[in-house]
Amino acid sequence: MRRDEIPPGTLYLLVLKTLARHGELHGYEIAEAIERGSEDVLQVEEGSLYPALQRMLLKGWVTAEWGVTAGNRRARYYKLTAPGRKQLAAEQSQFERVFGAISRIVQTA
Amino acid sequence: MGELLRRIQMIFHRNRVSAELEEEMQLHLDLREQANLAAGSSAATAHRETYVRFGNPTVMRERSLSAWGWSWLESLAQDVAYGFRSMLRTPVLTAVALLSLGLGIGANTAIFSFLDAIVLRSLPVKQPSQLLLLGKGDGAGITNGYGSTNLYSYPFFREFQEKNGVFSDVATVFSIGNRPYSTVDRRGQMEPITVDIVSGSFFHTLGIEPMLGRTLNPSDDNSEGDHPVAMISYSWWQRALASDPNVLSHTVKLGDTTFNIVGVAPPGFFGIMVGHAPDVWVPMSMMKTVPPHWDGYKHNFYESNFIFGRLRPGVTIQQAEANVNLLRQQIIRSFPDAKLNDYNLRRLTQAHVSMTRMMTGLSYLRNDFSDPLKILMGVTAMVLLIACANIANLLLARSTVRAREFAVRQALGAGRMRLVRQLLTESLLLSLAGGALGIIFAVVANRFLLRMLSGGSDADTIPLDVSLNLRMLLYSLGATVLTAVVFGMVPALKASRVEVTDALKDGHGASSSASRGPLGKVLVVGQVAISLVLTVAAVLFLRSLVNLMHVDTGFTRNNVLRLEIDSDVLGLPAKDPRMIAMFREIEQRVDAVTGVKAASFASFFFNQGSWNGGVNVPGTNYNDNVNIKHNVIGDGYFDTLQIPLTGRAFGPQDTATSHGVAIISESMARDLFPAGVNPIGRHYFLDRVPNPEDDVEVVGVVKDVKFGSLQENKQYIDYIPNSHHPWGYGSLAVRYEGDFNTVAAAVQQAIHSVNRTLPISHITTLDEQVARSITNQRLVAQVSAFFGVLAVFLSAIGIYGLMSYVVSRRTNEIGIRMALGAERAGVRWMVMREILVLIVTGIAIGAVLALAASRLVTSMLYGLHATEPGNLALAMVVLLAVALAAGYLPARRASQVSPMEALRCE
Repeated sequence: MRRDEIPPGTLYLLVLKTLARHGELHGYEIAEAIERGSEDVLQVEEGSLYPALQRMLLKGWVTAEWGVTAGNRRARYYKLTAPGRKQLAAEQSQFERVFGAISRIVQTA
Repeated sequence: MGELLRRIQMIFHRNRVSAELEEEMQLHLDLREQANLAAGSSAATAHRETYVRFGNPTVMRERSLSAWGWSWLESLAQDVAYGFRSMLRTPVLTAVALLSLGLGIGANTAIFSFLDAIVLRSLPVKQPSQLLLLGKGDGAGITNGYGSTNLYSYPFFREFQEKNGVFSDVATVFSIGNRPYSTVDRRGQMEPITVDIVSGSFFHTLGIEPMLGRTLNPSDDNSEGDHPVAMISYSWWQRALASDPNVLSHTVKLGDTTFNIVGVAPPGFFGIMVGHAPDVWVPMSMMKTVPPHWDGYKHNFYESNFIFGRLRPGVTIQQAEANVNLLRQQIIRSFPDAKLNDYNLRRLTQAHVSMTRMMTGLSYLRNDFSDPLKILMGVTAMVLLIACANIANLLLARSTVRAREFAVRQALGAGRMRLVRQLLTESLLLSLAGGALGIIFAVVANRFLLRMLSGGSDADTIPLDVSLNLRMLLYSLGATVLTAVVFGMVPALKASRVEVTDALKDGHGASSSASRGPLGKVLVVGQVAISLVLTVAAVLFLRSLVNLMHVDTGFTRNNVLRLEIDSDVLGLPAKDPRMIAMFREIEQRVDAVTGVKAASFASFFFNQGSWNGGVNVPGTNYNDNVNIKHNVIGDGYFDTLQIPLTGRAFGPQDTATSHGVAIISESMARDLFPAGVNPIGRHYFLDRVPNPEDDVEVVGVVKDVKFGSLQENKQYIDYIPNSHHPWGYGSLAVRYEGDFNTVAAAVQQAIHSVNRTLPISHITTLDEQVARSITNQRLVAQVSAFFGVLAVFLSAIGIYGLMSYVVSRRTNEIGIRMALGAERAGVRWMVMREILVLIVTGIAIGAVLALAASRLVTSMLYGLHATEPGNLALAMVVLLAVALAAGYLPARRASQVSPMEALRCE
């Protein structure tokens, strides 16, 4: 199965959107959700989720709390904050602007 | 804001954050592997797939942690830790470098703090550059000479204030500081308070706004005796009144008069005299009520005040001077009681008042300590230079030795910038640690210097703001950091460019030995040169101090107890018979104390100021330039000080009504009385003019003594009994034997048995008093000796370090020489020759510098010439001996090289 790398700079958007849709998730679930949501087209280098999550914690877009998984293991669950929601809106509108422009150019040709 | 906070919190929980990351990543990996297994992969494939999809977990964790932005801190911490370890690898060298840096920075900062406080700092008043003083401001006191250009009477001030056209404001201050025992509110205990007597215009002229209440104003001194108001200083308000905001309800009782406090001066304000900080200011109108009851408010010729003014805009200092001189003549001539005889007119017209800028205020400290402090500043600056050279040498040596280490690290892939950064960190570490030590030293040195300047541990501390001078601290710190960076960087850059293979081969890369040599040698030559200058200075000042300590004072200074009483608290004038009787009785009671051999009051013992005047000796020509120092003494004075006397001492026969008598000094007898005649029995007048009431008969001649200072030439002194010229004594001297403390306690008891209220203070010895008069010489000698020794020591270390290095680099050369038959002595000489060249070059340069510099200190030396060749020779010998000893050790080591070993090490 062929998979595409995600476009640079969109990882935050994907994580934010995923959390917005699913609520609280741990790292593995986020990766799974992104890949499932893209119908397995997009592939995250799964480890790079974690630097991104740390930066998002630092920015205050998400908070994290330790909980227990279904398999009874400790996991850190991430949750969107109010600033995170605002960031999501901003990133989303920027994404739409840029991709809208690109797709217009591509389609006219 | 929240982001910064989270970032900072992260540093403290770094380990936990790291552990948590590891845990959640592990979970991720495990879950992925399970999912892969569930999808039907083999165990091996599932495991590999997991890691392919995840990436390198270690890298991911590091990237996650670095998201917090602290990686620079981590590598800094690594560098610092590494720097510490490499400093500890040469603990002695590091300790010497740190200590010398600390001492250099500390001493510079401390000395500069004093130089700034005493000489450089502007008065904390409004636009001090506009303030001008009439005259030079030296010589406080009271005169009536018609020729005075420094001191003026209060009536003169009032006239001048009204008539002058060059100052926008004029003020005056009584020149003598008063420290009467006083009562605050109604407290039981009296305490000494420093009181300045000023005109009502004083604060307004200086542009000082009160912190609380009001300042004194011109209406406070417009009529005598009825304005008992006082302004107090901020620090006294804190100290004595516990910063009570309700300050206006407090009073302070000076003598018999209770003064209402009307205001508090702003913090830091001390008037115009640096090193003199009054607690209380009272108006001139009240001067007679302030002990010791000066009576100058209405006397046209009671010339006791400094006058200063604020220049009007647009007026030049020359215009002001012209106006002042013109007015001075006019005002003094216009006084109805002016005695305008030829003599007085001549003095009046000949005296010219020059104006002094008051930018930095007046200061008696400045005369004493300005030159010494400048010299010490020079000394400590040189020490800092040597310390910097030392650091430079240390860093150079270390980085060359580490050429191999750097090569290894470069070969292993360390970036060049990373190596440079690490060396830089180590240099900075060294200089900053030195700086921290410097701050500690500076604080300690500041206390020590203030003590010394004040005259010892039992003296009153001079009120001087000598808080650490931040500018100077930064400056010296900057100098060391710069040195460390430059001398740390040069070799760092060089080392990082080392041919890796060359250096790895033997660690003695040829490229670095050639370049390290000259720079290190220049540094050592410089150190030796500066050390010689400092050694010469130390020799000069120490010899001068020794000369001063061996000066014959004319009196026996040991075993004399000295103390001060304040008889002003009794509120009686000195001429009151009760006062005269009381002083006699104290002398007698003290005399009777066990262990006391003699006791006497005097108006002056040693270095306590003077009362001067002309005398008229019948049969000789009057010489206006001859000033006699008068000393009013008790009957036991000469016994107490053991001054040899021919004729008779004063005794009970000298009463208030008996004819005046005097005892004169040898020089006075020899120079002022007709030659060949025994002065005993002859008469003279204690004034320029022969008034019968000033006639005294000479009853004795005493040996010359030092009166004001140890350096002074022979003084003309005459002694007068207290009964004839009553003096409100303060100073008592007691010759004793046995234990000082026992006698001191018994003497105080004896004094209080005569009068319980007399405050006793400043209990010390005459020895101590004499020693105190040469405080600045002692200070300069001790500090320059200390730093001279330090400089020589640092140079020795520098030489030792350099030569050890040179020898270690030449080990195989030496080995070959010895293998080819060179003698040990020959090898030793080969190394010593190199050292000798350096030392001799350094000494030659130093000698030139020292000769040039010694001219600057000529005026500060006593009993020797700055250019005497002996001093220079002595310094050279000392330095040469120490330097050769430092160089001998490495030379000997070189000669003990075993040829086999040296060659094997190749």
